[in-house]
Amino acid sequence: MLSRVAENLYWLGRDLERVENIARMAEVSHTVSVESGGVDGDQHAWDAVLAATGSLGLYNEAHKDDPQLTPAEFLLLSSANPNSLRRTLVVARALARELREQLSREVWEEINRIYLDVHATRTDFRDFRDGMHAFCDQVRSGVASILGLFDNTVLMDEGRDWFRCGVYLERADMTSRIVDAKYFVLLPSAQDIGGALDRSQWVAVLRSASAWQAFRMTHRGAITGPRVATMLVRGEQFPRSLYFCVRAFRRHFEAASDRTPAGQTIHVARELALLDLDLASVDEAALVRQGVHEFMDGFQARLIDVDRLLHEHIFRVLPSVA
Amino acid sequence: MSDPFSGYEQLAGPDEMFAPDGSPHPAYAAFAERLGAWSIEHIDGRQRRSEMDLLASGITFTVYQDEAEVDRIFPFSIIPRIVAHDEWRTIETGLQQRVKALNAFLHDVYHDQRCVTDGVIPGQVLFGAAAFNLRMVGFEPPQGVYTHIAGSDLIRDQHGEFRILEDNVRTPSGVSYVLENRRTMLEAVPELFPEGAVSPVTDYPEHLLEMLIEVRPEGVAAEEARIVILTPGSFNSAYFEHTFLAQQMGVDLVEGRDLIVHDQTVYLRATTGLERVDVIYKRVDDDFLDPLAFRPDSVLGVAGLADAYRAGKVTLANAMGVGVADDKVVYRFVPDFIRYYLGEEPILRNIDTLAAVLPEDLEEMCANLDQLVVKPAGESGGYGLVVGPQASAAELRATEERIRDNPRNWIAQPLQEFSSIPTLLDGALRARRADLRPFALTGADTWVLPGGLTRVALVEGSYVVNSSQGGGSKDTWVLRPPRASEE
Repeated sequence: MLSRVAENLYWLGRDLERVENIARMAEVSHTVSVESGGVDGDQHAWDAVLAATGSLGLYNEAHKDDPQLTPAEFLLLSSANPNSLRRTLVVARALARELREQLSREVWEEINRIYLDVHATRTDFRDFRDGMHAFCDQVRSGVASILGLFDNTVLMDEGRDWFRCGVYLERADMTSRIVDAKYFVLLPSAQDIGGALDRSQWVAVLRSASAWQAFRMTHRGAITGPRVATMLVRGEQFPRSLYFCVRAFRRHFEAASDRTPAGQTIHVARELALLDLDLASVDEAALVRQGVHEFMDGFQARLIDVDRLLHEHIFRVLPSVA
Repeated sequence: MSDPFSGYEQLAGPDEMFAPDGSPHPAYAAFAERLGAWSIEHIDGRQRRSEMDLLASGITFTVYQDEAEVDRIFPFSIIPRIVAHDEWRTIETGLQQRVKALNAFLHDVYHDQRCVTDGVIPGQVLFGAAAFNLRMVGFEPPQGVYTHIAGSDLIRDQHGEFRILEDNVRTPSGVSYVLENRRTMLEAVPELFPEGAVSPVTDYPEHLLEMLIEVRPEGVAAEEARIVILTPGSFNSAYFEHTFLAQQMGVDLVEGRDLIVHDQTVYLRATTGLERVDVIYKRVDDDFLDPLAFRPDSVLGVAGLADAYRAGKVTLANAMGVGVADDKVVYRFVPDFIRYYLGEEPILRNIDTLAAVLPEDLEEMCANLDQLVVKPAGESGGYGLVVGPQASAAELRATEERIRDNPRNWIAQPLQEFSSIPTLLDGALRARRADLRPFALTGADTWVLPGGLTRVALVEGSYVVNSSQGGGSKDTWVLRPPRASEE
């Protein structure tokens, strides 16, 4: 497969996964803020998701110029925010268009459909409480369809594995950001820990990671920060945990690069093996000892490394003539 | 129920669907009966359905409106062009003849240039052609084929005769719309198809692939030939077509940066290493093909490609330097090529054309500008066209000045009242002028796709069908021979 095509499929996976994550997090923040209406929780709920998507600083700037600008609008529909759902989707669709001959008609049409839907959404969210849920839901089920169609209508060759690599790397990154945002942005004062607000925020974190039901099915007893964080890092059976995503990434990478010269694959493969080992040894005590924020910070840096090695040694490398 | 054809007004020149007395032509009889059973509202509903289908398929281009991106489909009309079988035979054999003559001409141009010494075409026309490519001189392309893919534009003139308006042998585009228009029609208006009477077009990609394999470099086994399509990239207006053909043929779609040339061999950069490329269906202009050979500022090309081509290590389709054959001034001489190289009379005639580079033509042209359509030789897509009868006196004066300034760059033709086809616009059927671009593939033989791109001028009174000038497209139905005469 062309290196450029492999790289584009990887990025298509990343961007689509990110679109879905933004929609999911926005939905949770929306319900939390409506529920707590006007209390401190209101702004906090949005700060967390803005931070997780790298939009918090940008939002604060933009908000100064336009006090009416809501976090939801900035996060979902703004063209001025490079990390917004709309902008990410525009990039994903442009990639899909470039890759069109690699995708099944079904996959392409579904990507095109959600793009057209989002494009047609002109409403700002200043006064848009009903539409918000429907909008996010539509985007999420759109991305879910694409992932499903990818598995069911696209040839199971290396292209599909590169796509999946993108999905899992992005998913690992987003999950770690969701947890980190709670710790770092919503850092409660010591007396709040274990209180009602703290607990409801952790529930929101679980829901943001689609993990609320999974948590309840695997954990009895109290919802505490360390328990939630541990599940999202280490949950072997939970498809959005860091550990699960890294292992899935590793599997797809090995399949995708099966025929790539070993001199090229060794760099990413080594990094993935180490990451896999390190995550396998994490437990609640270790996480608390190290500090969740510090752990997530380190993890994200290592994902950036994997991504860099992937480009340097696989996608962008100039192979020598045999 | 309202008759959808009531109030339909024919234009000057023939109507493809109706005779002057309002009865449908035989080729349209079955279609007209079915369509006539529908109300205009129902036809409108089907038209909209086809547009929604095209939008969902993402066969669109992006325009900017009030700072927002809007996706538009290329206008499509559900009333097809229908071509009777015997008429199609004329077009088919006429194109085969024309392609053969053009290839003979190109071979001559890049070898002995007998056409100049024998006075078939003035040397200044030939060597003044921008596309004349010195690097092709003395080079023998595989199978002697220059114009692997050709798409000539035809119109039906006021006397009902199909004539060649221009040839496109560089990178003719539009064939993906032929296939997609057919698919859209089959989905949106299946009831309108007379069962089994319309020639299918879906096997075009297979014919294209077969041809590309046929012209592979010597010494490469057919089953091992690696074919790619070279595209300028996703910002090119024909990018959809490039992806479409790549997908339909199952070949790689590459950009210049995906290829490298080493030791006069072309490779593509794959995740598994470098892989040799044998045939390149190029959709990149010659000027941008190889920064070492042509434009040094081009980032679209592949350094060393022209060299690999001349060494016979890779086949380019179409060949480099073929633009000489579809130069608008050279066009005037194509009927003479047919007589000179093949010893035959042209089956499909040209439009009478004046070339300002010939002194007697220049004077005739300037004396009759108000009755002529003037075209710059170096443009395509309908740019720079002056329609004499519709131009102001000042425009005509300015045009004359430009012509006298650079005669090599101008040709003129009498305004053609070419045929029109009913087209649904604003909820009513209106006559709109249309041309026809069939596609011819040449390997060992020339095969003509039984169908083509029918482009239609949507603007009232317009003679310009190009999509860049507000044109739309239609499906083209080539009728099969009646069963009785099939044996």
